[in-house]
Amino acid sequence: MYGLFRERAEAVSARVIRAGGPGEAAGALAGIIEEEKVKKIVAEPSGMVERCVRILEERGVLAEGGQEGGGRPALFFRDLRRQAGDAGLGISEMALAVAETGSLAGDCTSMESRLVSTLPPVHVALVPSSGLVATPGEAIERFYGGGRTPGYLSFISGPSRTADIERVLTIGVHGPERLYIILVDEEGGGGND
Amino acid sequence: MTEGFRERIAAALDNQNLRRALGNFADAYLGARENAYQGKDFEAIRRKIAGIKKGAAENMEELAHRFTRAAEKAGAVVYRASTPEEARDYIKNLAQARGVKSVVKSKSMVTEEIHLNRSLKEAGIEVRETDLGEWIIQLSGQKPSHMVMPAIHMTRGEVAGVFSAETGKELSDEIPVLVKVAREELRQKFLAAGMGISGANIAVAETGTIVMVTNEGNGRLTTTLPPLHVAVVGLDKLVSSIGDVAPILEALPRSATAQHMTSYVTMITGPVPAMDRAGNPVEKEMHIVLLDNGRTKMASDPVFKEALQCIRCASCLNVCPVFQLVGGHVYGHVYTGGIGTILTAFHHGLEKAESIQSLCLGCERCKAFCPAGIDIPALIRELRARITGRKGLPAGSRFLLETVLPSRSLFHGLIKAASAAQKPFVREGGYVRHLPLFLAGLTRGRSLPAIAGRPFRDVAGSLPAPRNPGERIGFFAGCLIDFVYPRIGEAVHKILAGMGCRVVFPPGQTCCGLPASYMGAPGPAARIARQNIAAFGEDCRYILTACPTCATFLKRDYPRLLREDGEWAGRAERFAARVVDFSSFVSREGFRPAGGFAGTRITYHDSCHLKRNLGVFREPRELLAGAGYDLVEMKWPDRCCGFGGSYSMRFPEVSRSILEAKIKDITETGARVVATDCPGCLLQLAGGLDAGGRREIRAAHTAELLCE
Ligand code: SF4
Ligand code: SF4
Repeated sequence: MYGLFRERAEAVSARVIRAGGPGEAAGALAGIIEEEKVKKIVAEPSGMVERCVRILEERGVLAEGGQEGGGRPALFFRDLRRQAGDAGLGISEMALAVAETGSLAGDCTSMESRLVSTLPPVHVALVPSSGLVATPGEAIERFYGGGRTPGYLSFISGPSRTADIERVLTIGVHGPERLYIILVDEEGGGGND
Repeated sequence: MTEGFRERIAAALDNQNLRRALGNFADAYLGARENAYQGKDFEAIRRKIAGIKKGAAENMEELAHRFTRAAEKAGAVVYRASTPEEARDYIKNLAQARGVKSVVKSKSMVTEEIHLNRSLKEAGIEVRETDLGEWIIQLSGQKPSHMVMPAIHMTRGEVAGVFSAETGKELSDEIPVLVKVAREELRQKFLAAGMGISGANIAVAETGTIVMVTNEGNGRLTTTLPPLHVAVVGLDKLVSSIGDVAPILEALPRSATAQHMTSYVTMITGPVPAMDRAGNPVEKEMHIVLLDNGRTKMASDPVFKEALQCIRCASCLNVCPVFQLVGGHVYGHVYTGGIGTILTAFHHGLEKAESIQSLCLGCERCKAFCPAGIDIPALIRELRARITGRKGLPAGSRFLLETVLPSRSLFHGLIKAASAAQKPFVREGGYVRHLPLFLAGLTRGRSLPAIAGRPFRDVAGSLPAPRNPGERIGFFAGCLIDFVYPRIGEAVHKILAGMGCRVVFPPGQTCCGLPASYMGAPGPAARIARQNIAAFGEDCRYILTACPTCATFLKRDYPRLLREDGEWAGRAERFAARVVDFSSFVSREGFRPAGGFAGTRITYHDSCHLKRNLGVFREPRELLAGAGYDLVEMKWPDRCCGFGGSYSMRFPEVSRSILEAKIKDITETGARVVATDCPGCLLQLAGGLDAGGRREIRAAHTAELLCE
């Protein structure tokens, strides 16, 4: 399933990285931050994102406590409505990766998760590799099973796009121009292949 | 015809940008769509969607109640609007009550249907379309020309002009630059807007969820940044349960834009957290306007309820030969193309659909692609019948249908008279090059064949029969073979006789009746059907025709026309069951062509009716290849040739333009011969080749080619 997911996600211009655990995921994140040369980052305060950010703070990639310093980018978990507007990169966690369509699926009910994945030009999504499912239908079932109803379920497939002028495909309209997906294996476990 | 209709058609045909854009797209779409569906069972998906949406249409009222309860439970406010006016007023009053100064909108056809922007603007509220295509349209004061790609008719240069005027800067026409401008300009509007208005692609009764399928990201912004979200949802968007979403998502992006999935699919249930500009949490409000505007009336209509199954993918436009030529503007309203004709009739009034219904050629291509299983051409025929039923036929047509068609001798007499009258205009080779004055439109770009000196009916009796005849086959000629191409009838006769069949030609037969039906006159069509059924009696094993249009009508429509006509219902069923088309019959019965045509390069044009109504396309190819012809496929062999019977007379310009594309595809194969199974296509193709100066390419019916 991972192979198909990767193929389909890349076909819609997402970049897919597989990480053996949070440590590797943090490393991949550091690489993206470096490559994108961002000064300001906004992040959704969620378990896996916070874990990776803490590792990067320890490694000195990010300044501690969200302060810009020593040429290191600043990262914000709060006040995102104001901070996301001019941030260069947003980090969020998505629960599922859908193989057939190369999509991510996640409950984006929190305002933070939506702001970080819509406003900045680069979106990095952390996804547990145990969250690989085959089809969008399966993803819907996971979220709506057992009588639950998420407030705002998002499927995200690649960066935003348009073909509205002369049908020429152009990446990056209102949403992100680039989407990085880091699939994170459980520590010790192999994840869902 | 409504005022300006013909002018709009002429203008569209003259618009080279539009023609190029739509033409390129039409070609690219087919392949891309096919790729997107790879590994999928389209027929199974569409059966599922048709089932889901059919059930929803039948229970619309109940679903609306369930949806309302569930959405309210989740914290949304649901307002049921019967008319566009009620919907507009509700939204306007809400905006005013909340002190909203500016509104951002993501793409929604239903808000166009109710002319929402105009009413908000009149109330002094600024409205911004944020879908790139819609924004271009809004800024340039135009109308969308396509359901999915509203600005497909505009070039990058035109867009640069529009954006330059808006921003006061001189912008280059590079597309990435233009897209960036839109991002920056509209970002400010998103951040400042007091209200976000969206549509919905699906509304789930079980959970009160709305589903939005988008690509640009504007849908997520519209529903995230403003503290007030209004979703305008047509009642046709309702489905029963959350399990109904996945099948629609499986088809919608694949059919609409040839994507496995759009960039964003968003499923919203009730208001979600929001913040004001300073970042303080605010109470979000979500209002859902459920719009009727003709939809419950449609649901209660035994025929037109089918149109409620539509998921607005626009593939019926993308494959329609007429739409490909003229685009959306000629349709004059929000919903365009074949399905748009039906929707216009219900949402904007029957009279508004009167002109545009006549644009449909009846080629049935859209039907083969519709992921919701809607028989669009059948709905258009029904619409036509109702319009005619209300207005009556024009006197000339009535005389033709009610008096001339059923009477073969009168019809023939008139045709003969016409044949004599045309003599002075017949040039060598049997084509009419120029017709006098009022008929001139008929022969521009296409030469018409001369009416035969002796119709088939006069020849039929004297054709040789086999010595020990076997099965009795009734031959149904149809008008074109009878009066224009008796040579096809003779070829069929020769082949069947060679196979040992006893071929009979019941002289009481007349026109198949399809022209009457297409003109919206089911009464005369039924009368003609009874006449033909009586003429053939019950003792032919098969009723064979070499005209797929006749075959379709005899087989599919006779039972339908006579369903409630006492003993005729049964007779029509038995008659229809025995109708076969030439190619599938001789192929099935093991006909072996003589062969000896090795090396003659040939290409095959699929008649719309043969391929899509009768499902026959392999047989004629196998027969021709069996005869030794070297078959090369043209590009899109099943794209309509533009004949469409009397269509080519009503819209000669449209018909001619479609024909030109076909002739080009034929010429590109380098074939010496183009074969087809339909005498109507033959007339069109032969005429187009002749008029286009491609006389070295011969057009012929499959039967003729097999018995040479
Ligand atoms: S039947 Fe043919 S002409 Fe009519 S709407 Fe469908 S595709 Fe267009
Ligand atoms: S009628 Fe069918 S093909 Fe046309 S837009 Fe609706 S669902 Fe799509």
